[in-house]
Amino acid sequence: MKKKSAILFSLLLMGVMIFSQLANIPRSETLIVDVPNGRATTPANFNIFKLVSNRPDRGLHQLMLEPLWMIDYMNGGVINALAAEEPIYNEDFTQMTLKLRKGCYWSDGVEITADDIVYGIEITMKTPGLKYNEQLNLYLDKMYKTDDYTVVFELKEPNSRFHSNFLDRWGAWRPFPKHIFESVEDPVNFDYNPPISSGPYILKDFDQGGYWTLWERREDWERTPTGMLFGEPKPKYVLYYAYQEETNKVISQSNHQLDITEVTLEGFRAIIKRDPYARGYRLEFPWISNNIDPVMSGLNFNNEKYPYNIKDVRWALTLAIDIVDYMGIAFDGTTVMGVLHVPPTPYYQKVYYGSMEDWLKNLTLDIEVNGQPFKPYDPSATLRAAQYARERGYEVPNDIDQLKEMFGPGWWKYAPDVAEQLLTRNGFKRDKNGKWLLPDGNPWKINIVTTPVATHPQHRNALAAAQQWRNFGIEVSVNSSESYSDAYHLGNFDVCTSWPATEPWGGHPDLYRVFETLHSDYYRPLGEYVSVGGAAYGRWTDPRMDKIIEEMRELDWSSQRNLELGMKGLKILIEELPSLPTFSGPKPTSYDEYYWTNYPLAENPYGGPLISWPNFKYILPFLEQTGRK
Amino acid sequence: MLFIKRYLLPRIVQFLVVIFVGITIVFFIPRLSSSNPVEQVIYQITAQGTFLDPAAIDLIRQSLTEMYGLEGGIFQQYFAFWGRLIKGDFGPSLLNFPVPVMDLIIASLPWTVGLLIITTVIAWIVGNILGALAGYFKNKAWVKTLENIVMIIRPMPYYIFALLLLILFTYLLPIFPSVGGYSVGRQIGFNWVFISDLLMHSFLPAMSLIILGIASNFMTMRLIVSNIVAEDYVIYAKAGGLKERKIAFKYVFRNGLLPQITGLALSLGQIFGGALVTEIVFSYPGIGMLLKGAISSRDYNLIIGIVSLSVIGIAGATLIIDLIYPLFDPRIRYR
Repeated sequence: MKKKSAILFSLLLMGVMIFSQLANIPRSETLIVDVPNGRATTPANFNIFKLVSNRPDRGLHQLMLEPLWMIDYMNGGVINALAAEEPIYNEDFTQMTLKLRKGCYWSDGVEITADDIVYGIEITMKTPGLKYNEQLNLYLDKMYKTDDYTVVFELKEPNSRFHSNFLDRWGAWRPFPKHIFESVEDPVNFDYNPPISSGPYILKDFDQGGYWTLWERREDWERTPTGMLFGEPKPKYVLYYAYQEETNKVISQSNHQLDITEVTLEGFRAIIKRDPYARGYRLEFPWISNNIDPVMSGLNFNNEKYPYNIKDVRWALTLAIDIVDYMGIAFDGTTVMGVLHVPPTPYYQKVYYGSMEDWLKNLTLDIEVNGQPFKPYDPSATLRAAQYARERGYEVPNDIDQLKEMFGPGWWKYAPDVAEQLLTRNGFKRDKNGKWLLPDGNPWKINIVTTPVATHPQHRNALAAAQQWRNFGIEVSVNSSESYSDAYHLGNFDVCTSWPATEPWGGHPDLYRVFETLHSDYYRPLGEYVSVGGAAYGRWTDPRMDKIIEEMRELDWSSQRNLELGMKGLKILIEELPSLPTFSGPKPTSYDEYYWTNYPLAENPYGGPLISWPNFKYILPFLEQTGRK
Repeated sequence: MLFIKRYLLPRIVQFLVVIFVGITIVFFIPRLSSSNPVEQVIYQITAQGTFLDPAAIDLIRQSLTEMYGLEGGIFQQYFAFWGRLIKGDFGPSLLNFPVPVMDLIIASLPWTVGLLIITTVIAWIVGNILGALAGYFKNKAWVKTLENIVMIIRPMPYYIFALLLLILFTYLLPIFPSVGGYSVGRQIGFNWVFISDLLMHSFLPAMSLIILGIASNFMTMRLIVSNIVAEDYVIYAKAGGLKERKIAFKYVFRNGLLPQITGLALSLGQIFGGALVTEIVFSYPGIGMLLKGAISSRDYNLIIGIVSLSVIGIAGATLIIDLIYPLFDPRIRYR
């Protein structure tokens, strides 16, 4: 009897289906996407137009809103979304004309017209506490519509990049509905619930606890830029769910309850082992999307602190790094190396890395090796990285172009002997144990400040750099505390791991936003907060860079001269090396193909596969249902 | 009158002083950090990839400082804070500006209170009953078995234990949901469909807390009862021929409960601090994550709001215990 009961109980348990998160929502028509940045603290508030708001990546900027323009970080270029065409400037960049796309509607059936733009910008400028209030007040003198689809902006002074305030790259001023906001007394204190969409999805439901937000495809999806440009988004529902804990992500995707998730490399490997339907960006090593996210990671030297204010020291520390070993420590060799202060995405490899390769190869340092000027660039680092992968048992192709795309076009030579020369000529010496001493005879200790998130590329950079420099004979400590961002801003570090430069657009060659934060106008002495991030934390300025930035301000962002200035600025950054780019920020993302296929992955990269980016809506029309219920 | 003067009043004064000192410390400590919420907000905006002109960032800094009421000296802010607090207003959350702190707390607290009160009470009752029996009847076979089980569970770090439950019941035997407070698309309402869904989602978080809570209470109570059993008065009662049952329930268990009651009160007081690890592992809503976010973003008002509740909770629990303790222990009187 007991045996029978046990069998019955076991059968009952086996008969129980995997617990689905969905009630009354068909799983086969729902795309479930992770929210990598966690839950919303004010889930009922959909007002992301205010300055201090929830993060927008629970579907708000991926599904609910359309910008005027969107940067295409994957294939390069700018997508005209609610705008019908590129911005039109007058000759001296004091006027910008916006042409709106006709036939776009808010989800409540009201047409999106120039009135929305004029009203939205006016209310933004009048209301401190709304995003872009300060920015627009700085530049915009007045604005008016000339017809229902044309808005003219008169600027206070020439500004060739005024449109960049409306160009979505994980944020921009995005239109909001006049007919809703004009009846609101305080737009900052308004929760915009239920939200009206300009994008292809509307809010269906949300979790009071802030973990999930469910979106439903609009019936009139064809009256949105996504529908007009790319067609019908295939999932009827998109569920954004903040899983938080990595184990939970692995379990949920293995149970096919999570279609796309951002995890760590270790988490990704755990999923692949358990879920035959899961895959990364690539089918082969290095599997993950390692050069898609347009961000460059690396190290920032404190250029105001001895001895990092000495160029030779910065170069010596660079040449003491074996980049292949470094990438192995950081991410088991799955990242893409790069020497420029722009990431080695396929787009930037074409625009900058390719164009500057000869210059890099011929670059010399002010030091001789065997009677010859030393050339620090090492294009063969790519092949060494490929060899590392082969030695780890992974299959990699032999084609050099493919290898450059996978591992990066090259890096600086591993030349500890040259590093030694550079240090010695500045008075550094080694003690009897081979440890480096400062010129005053004290031990050289480097304090690297980084984020405490152990999986973050910044943290991995810190660990790898510490290991490399210890091998070279320097005492290194890694300080990863919750107050790391304070240390960055105040300059309380020898080396920190913030991005070595502000992130570029990702799909456009203009490097103004990369350089501008380095202008001496924004310099702050140690102990004072810097306004901006990136290399500005390192307190480096250069009159040559100031001149480049000032000239760029006057130029069309797509002009040849602007591109030339971009390269000129990159060359200065390389020669001076105030910060050290190492590898692009890898994004281990796992895609489950149990319910949905045809994600934009390596074999067919038709769009941006990153789930938290606003471009995500543009890939939904290309997804295909597998038919599994 | 003597009770009020000698017993009640000093304790109420002590209660108020603890709250005042506690809240004052919470006000000043975050402000001693080199960072502040204005810089944190700017950092978050720029770190997300939005490009803001550095000149505009300086203007944003000014606007935020003004909006947050962070202008003026720290003591000026301190007095303004008490002025607001007396009216029951913790001010707006700085990182969710202008949402009031109380709104955020009210949204998160029911999840935490619901989960932690039930699990704390169940764990306390079951753990103490089993611990008391195990301490009194320590030579029984079932006691030894139970002790061995508890000895395995008790030393486990909570995080590991919670993960084990998660893997066991959501992956190997996938019968419970791994995340959230209720199913996506489920209509919230006071009906069986929703309540059963809520119970299913809270089952694993609750079990993780209850099992470890039982183990903890079991061990303490067993130890206390083992000691009491060896007391002279128990030996005397046995020698006097009192019934075993009477000795156990009237003299041993009742005495053993006294320190445990204090422990229960303090545990209930601590509920307002939330169960951070539970919330993280099971992606369960609650106040723990809210506090974590507030601390990392230097949201002064939200930190003060949540910690004040915790201070009031613990001080209040201590006060209540002080006041009702004489009911449990006749040796304690106000005279």
